[in-house]
Amino acid sequence: MLITEMKSKEALLSLTEGKKVFLINCHGCREVFFPLEETEAFQKELKEAGQVTGTLTTDYICNPENLQLRLKPHTEEIASADVVLVFSCGVGVQTVAAQMEDKTVYAGCDTCRLPGFQGVTPLEYNCNQCGECYLNLTGGICPITACSKSLLNGQCGGSKDGKCEVNPQMECGWERIYRRLEEIGRLDALKCPTQIRSFATDDAVAK
Amino acid sequence: MEDYTKYRLKDRGELASVLSDTDHLFVVACNKCFKEFTTEEEPDCAAFIKIAEEEGKSVTGSIRVDFLCNKTQTVRTLQDMIPEGTENIFVVSCGLGIQTVADLAREKQLPVYAAADSLNYTGHHGMALTEKACGACAQCYLNVTGGLCPIVDCSKSLINGQCGGAKNGKCEVDPEKDCAWEKIYRRLEKQGRLEEFLHQPVQLRDYSKVDFEYVNHYVNTLRQSRLDGYYGGVHPLERKEATEHLALQPFPEPETVAIPLSMHAGAPATPVVEVGDSVKVGQKIGESAGFISSPVHASVSGTVTAIETRGHATRGTCPAVVIRSDGKDTLDESVQPRGSLDELTPDEIVEIVREAGIVGMGGAGFPTSVKLKPAKPVDTILLNGCECEPLLTADHRLMLEYADDVIFGLRAILKTVGAGKGILVIEDNKPDAIELMKAKTADYDNLEVRAVKTKYPQGAEKMLIKHILKRQVPSGGLPADVGCVVSNVSTAKAISDAIQKGLPLIERAVTVTGERLKKPGNYMVKIGTNTKDLVDFCGGVDSEAEVTYKAGGPMMGFVLSDLNVPIIKGSNGIIAVDTDHTVEQPCIKCGRCMDVCPMELAPLYFARYADDENWQGMKDRHVMDCVECRCCEYICSSKIPLVAKIKAGKAAVRGMK
Repeated sequence: MLITEMKSKEALLSLTEGKKVFLINCHGCREVFFPLEETEAFQKELKEAGQVTGTLTTDYICNPENLQLRLKPHTEEIASADVVLVFSCGVGVQTVAAQMEDKTVYAGCDTCRLPGFQGVTPLEYNCNQCGECYLNLTGGICPITACSKSLLNGQCGGSKDGKCEVNPQMECGWERIYRRLEEIGRLDALKCPTQIRSFATDDAVAK
Repeated sequence: MEDYTKYRLKDRGELASVLSDTDHLFVVACNKCFKEFTTEEEPDCAAFIKIAEEEGKSVTGSIRVDFLCNKTQTVRTLQDMIPEGTENIFVVSCGLGIQTVADLAREKQLPVYAAADSLNYTGHHGMALTEKACGACAQCYLNVTGGLCPIVDCSKSLINGQCGGAKNGKCEVDPEKDCAWEKIYRRLEKQGRLEEFLHQPVQLRDYSKVDFEYVNHYVNTLRQSRLDGYYGGVHPLERKEATEHLALQPFPEPETVAIPLSMHAGAPATPVVEVGDSVKVGQKIGESAGFISSPVHASVSGTVTAIETRGHATRGTCPAVVIRSDGKDTLDESVQPRGSLDELTPDEIVEIVREAGIVGMGGAGFPTSVKLKPAKPVDTILLNGCECEPLLTADHRLMLEYADDVIFGLRAILKTVGAGKGILVIEDNKPDAIELMKAKTADYDNLEVRAVKTKYPQGAEKMLIKHILKRQVPSGGLPADVGCVVSNVSTAKAISDAIQKGLPLIERAVTVTGERLKKPGNYMVKIGTNTKDLVDFCGGVDSEAEVTYKAGGPMMGFVLSDLNVPIIKGSNGIIAVDTDHTVEQPCIKCGRCMDVCPMELAPLYFARYADDENWQGMKDRHVMDCVECRCCEYICSSKIPLVAKIKAGKAAVRGMK
């Protein structure tokens, strides 16, 4: 699951200045996030300046087959544009760019990652997909995401009044783990051998 | 398509050591997401149970769950599922599912163990699961690199050009892989952008951009808005700005009208006029043909020229009474005020409403007189002024311009069913209507105006009841089962007309709009007016190519392949929008349909079962509870026509008895 933020207006203006632009908006993940107000305001200005040759507002442009079908009615508008400006995640921009290799395709947004990506309701839990689940030892609270330092073998000792020393807004992950283990009578889990995290590549993990 | 598996069972050695201190296990397995929906039987659950048994452990039971991390649904699924005697829970899932179960199991004081490791898909995002990847670095470089991602495509994630180690265009880290920077160079060369690239300043990657605190804050706010009032729902673009400020105009008198004998749920009306008869406005031309049925009335004065089958927006075809207008708009003698609300008895009001042919004008067309005689005691009336369908503004304008009539109608309903409270619910995208209605109802102790956050399908009966009254209509039940009646604002206005003027339901507010229509507007339209006349009057469309017409809104409206159909009692809008060209793709179990289904169903199974004609499976998964709001189809990343499949399933289930 991804969230997108619009690039700064200045950055986008520098890309579009004096150029004819075809706009593509992808609203497929809008229930997760899409910077609707900012993009609408920016595009309105471009339109008022007479720079826009056409707009396609659609969803799931990451799907190449459907993107191709949806671009077809806009062939002329795209041909008459100097650049195609895409407001979507990085996947969408690349899908568009691959379908018009001779055209300058620009990204209107930056893409940030949301931990875990199921459906549209973001979760209150985080999973970093580390490939070696530690939850058995930690009472079901993930030390990779709940601890700012992703420590696997207990607290760093830097927390004050239960708050993290890196981010005082955050509860110390290991204090939470300790309390949870105490609650479920499993403090013995802390006596397990020292854990070493493997940072092997995705491919190695998948094997 | 890539075959994704979100997790992999831990190896035998690790499982054996985790299992060693445990016994009497209950196993919860997630059915995996983001993979082609080819099997309902993922092997991992059975594989784990086999290992546990081989280790000499007893298994008290197991359950396989879709989208285990979907907490709302998981809480319900796991309720009462864990048998007596269970001492430990093992979860076969990614870390999200494990944490969800661990949190839920705290109440039961049961330890939860992970039996699987989550696999890392950093970079594989996007709904369509193509091989294209995005590292979600929060500082998109694609503008510099011709649309090829240096973070993902280059093994070293270099952002300022090649490392120099490539041989014959292949990467030195992975000789199978093309050098990303060579690809980028070629692409930029093709676009004539090499100079531009060479003059780019050196790029620096900021690794602090992805901020957990920011993301967590964002996630919390989003969760609140998504679960506001009821589970699920979607927020399509509202697109109401074209017509929301345009006052309702009387639509010019049509030359002929074709009044269908069926504009309601239940039996079609029986015609009581003949070809050649003269009729007047408000004269009954079709008699109700059963308990669930409704009479129909002439909307113009003139001559009956035919009683014949005509096109129908929602039923395909339907017998209709065709009247040529004499242009005089002469009222029938029967159109007389029926008396004051204080004098009329509830039974008299029911009779007036029945005789006026009033049916639910939100679209379903259920006879209002039947609704007004509920079988169970009713304490609250919900008047639906949400108009949650995008594009439509007819109800909005009606509330602004006929506020007193709407309130009179609501009071009439309250009196008829003996309810103590009437709540008018309006979405917060109509602040002017909320303000006006609040002022108009201020003097009535038993009336209240409630503003709710805009979310589709807010106006669906069951969602409205859940949101406002926190009551759950039972499966297969009616609002009266939980002590309420839901009615639409247009229906309330029609009730007011029937009592105060004696006028049957012969006209209604219709929004004619859509991005392809030249002159959108809101009109009071005579029932039976041809839809094509409306579109023509509104200037037609900019070009007939690539236009889709719908009767109703973009979500629940019916596609019109032929505009030659009459406006009926449930026609709240006619829209002309861009045709969307897509082809159905395989389901990838993204879980979005389950996330947005306000009835908390699992639409992905309906698609699968409909293709397999597994009607029993449809029934077991409660297809009959579906309200056909189309949220699942709207959000579907594979563009599966879910509602058509669900409708086929419902028809088959109805025929099963």
